[in-house]
Amino acid sequence: MITTTAAAGSLLPVAVALPLTGAVFAPLLARVSKRLPLIISALALVGSLAVLVLIAPHVYGTGGILAHYLGGWGPVHGAVLGIAFAADPFGLTFALACAGIGALLLVYALSELSGLGARELGAFACLFQLLLAALIGSALTADLFNLFVWFEVAALASYGLTGFFLERPIALEAAFKIAVLTTIAAFGVFIGAGLLYTRHGALNLAQLHESLAAHVGTADLVALGLLVAGFATKAGLIPFHGWLPDAHTAAPGPVSALFSGLMVNLGIVAIGRLAFQVYPTSHTPILGILMVVGIISALVGATLALAQDELKRLLAYDTVSQMGVLAIGLATGSAAGIAGSTYHLVNHALFKSLLFLCAGAITHRTGVTKLSEMGGLLRRWPWVAGAFIVGAASIAGVPPLGGFVSLSLIHHGLTDSHQYVPYALMLLAQLITIAALGRAAWLAFFRKRQEEYERSESLRPGMLTSLVILSVCCIAFGIVPGTVINHAMAPAASGLLHPQQYAHDVLAGVGSLPHVLVAFDYTDVMELVLLVVSVGLGALLTALYLRSKEPLPVRALRAVHTGSVNDYAAFLAAGTVAVIAALRWA
Amino acid sequence: MIVANYLVAGFVFCAGLYTVLTRRNLIKIVMGLSLMEGSTYLLFISMAYRDGSTAPVLVGPPGGRNAHDLVRGNVSDPVLQNFCLTAIVIGVAVTAVFLTIVVRIAQHYRTLDADKIRQLRG
Repeated sequence: MITTTAAAGSLLPVAVALPLTGAVFAPLLARVSKRLPLIISALALVGSLAVLVLIAPHVYGTGGILAHYLGGWGPVHGAVLGIAFAADPFGLTFALACAGIGALLLVYALSELSGLGARELGAFACLFQLLLAALIGSALTADLFNLFVWFEVAALASYGLTGFFLERPIALEAAFKIAVLTTIAAFGVFIGAGLLYTRHGALNLAQLHESLAAHVGTADLVALGLLVAGFATKAGLIPFHGWLPDAHTAAPGPVSALFSGLMVNLGIVAIGRLAFQVYPTSHTPILGILMVVGIISALVGATLALAQDELKRLLAYDTVSQMGVLAIGLATGSAAGIAGSTYHLVNHALFKSLLFLCAGAITHRTGVTKLSEMGGLLRRWPWVAGAFIVGAASIAGVPPLGGFVSLSLIHHGLTDSHQYVPYALMLLAQLITIAALGRAAWLAFFRKRQEEYERSESLRPGMLTSLVILSVCCIAFGIVPGTVINHAMAPAASGLLHPQQYAHDVLAGVGSLPHVLVAFDYTDVMELVLLVVSVGLGALLTALYLRSKEPLPVRALRAVHTGSVNDYAAFLAAGTVAVIAALRWA
Repeated sequence: MIVANYLVAGFVFCAGLYTVLTRRNLIKIVMGLSLMEGSTYLLFISMAYRDGSTAPVLVGPPGGRNAHDLVRGNVSDPVLQNFCLTAIVIGVAVTAVFLTIVVRIAQHYRTLDADKIRQLRG
């Protein structure tokens, strides 16, 4: 069914309103039946997904941008009074991933968490939907202050979800850390938005771009630094990442999957918008800063992942590393790199959700969280093992899984712009990532274990369904790269690379984007050779690491992560100052 | 006049940040964050004042006086004040969540020292 353009535009807020309404009703419905809140939540997200799919034909392919001004407060002579929702291919891709994967995670939660009481399930469903509504809202909004509000909604929901499961006291510790760091980040975003408004009298991203394209002053750079630091905290980039591993360790499977697969992307999407669509990239050194931060995150995250004994913590540090990869892709500033980054965002959402659900399933069934206590899971639960291996192979970039396509696109972006040092460092980070996941897979699944686990519950149908669907999606996104790139990822890159066209289209309410060509070839010998070499070296590194003691760089990095909230806040403050200084003087 | 506001806002922000970075008592950390938040309100209220501005809704000035006499260039931008109202509402919610977490931490760990509550590290 194809709707008219105007009707599709007016549908945009519905995609956010559905989960928001569901969040209001979930705690009330818990009084009727225990499972009803989660079922209604899943339905609300499926509804949201359906609305976004209806909008998709107007945005993807030869489409472009579809804007809707809430309450009919449209622009007058280029000045915007109301809040705008604008679907561009970049944001819509993130919104679709949120609605789809969010619904799957709720199906999984319905199975895994059904042991909880009615009140807990009601509150859980409420917070879960609130977070997803905030993510979809932040993907679609074209208003800076509205973006801040979604940031805060997501933040409040995430504090609640982190501290939700009080049987583990570490959940409280993690909740305090995420709350402190995210609150400081929110100050950055708030002050940044206020500064930009004071100087330009505008909050609409399109209007801000038109004003900033003429002149970028010092105060604008300070504002950009504060905004980028704030959103980088949400994205978990180093040195803003202190909260991320702790929050993931403490939360149950579906919540970690939601945080890692979807919530951290809010930061990357917002940084992408700010760097490309709001500020003119030629007037700021933002891409260089993103490149440095991205490489550091990719390398340090992967190294710390290699050292972890707790499976979820390992996966969380890998998220830091993957966010670094996304930042590198954006920082290339080329069509291939940005398209690859958008592609990797979707792939990462899929495979990281899958891996966290596997980790959650293992913890749920055996009660074991540490890799050193696991083993022999391949023989016992081949389904979970299969899903984990699909996810890990996708991160490693093994064809025909999605990771191969997105990583080679980012490689192309780097070689096209002749940035060979970042290219080499990114390959190194990938190698360490492969070693970290290989180590986890070996210790948990392949290693022999004689004694039985104390607890052993069966895999419930909802859990199995989610694992299978996510695995199939991981493979599907690797099988049809041409279609996905042409219809979604290349237009997304076009939206970021043509900010003037974006600004014009948002103010006009509807418009198209120039065509951008992003080539991808499955039979690229260079990529395949690199893959074989890095998997081989990764396996070697795994074997070496399993035998040796903890090497000095790893020990030093772990020693810096003291677990003290004061230290993490200091990293955040120092990082913010460094970003602002680099923007001003680089 | 307005410069003093900016200076005070900057000082209060730094004092709050200093508290967050150096104090180990969880309640003090929350207080530090509240200070930082308060300073942003002052900053925004100060930034809202614009020299020589006039109010947007003025159908017609009363007889014998023009619009400029009426406002004397002291009108503030309502959007920034609106920012503050939104931030205050969010701030209250965040502080409530913070204090809830701190109470639960005190119940579980029997301490408020951030240095003793760091099982998650490395």
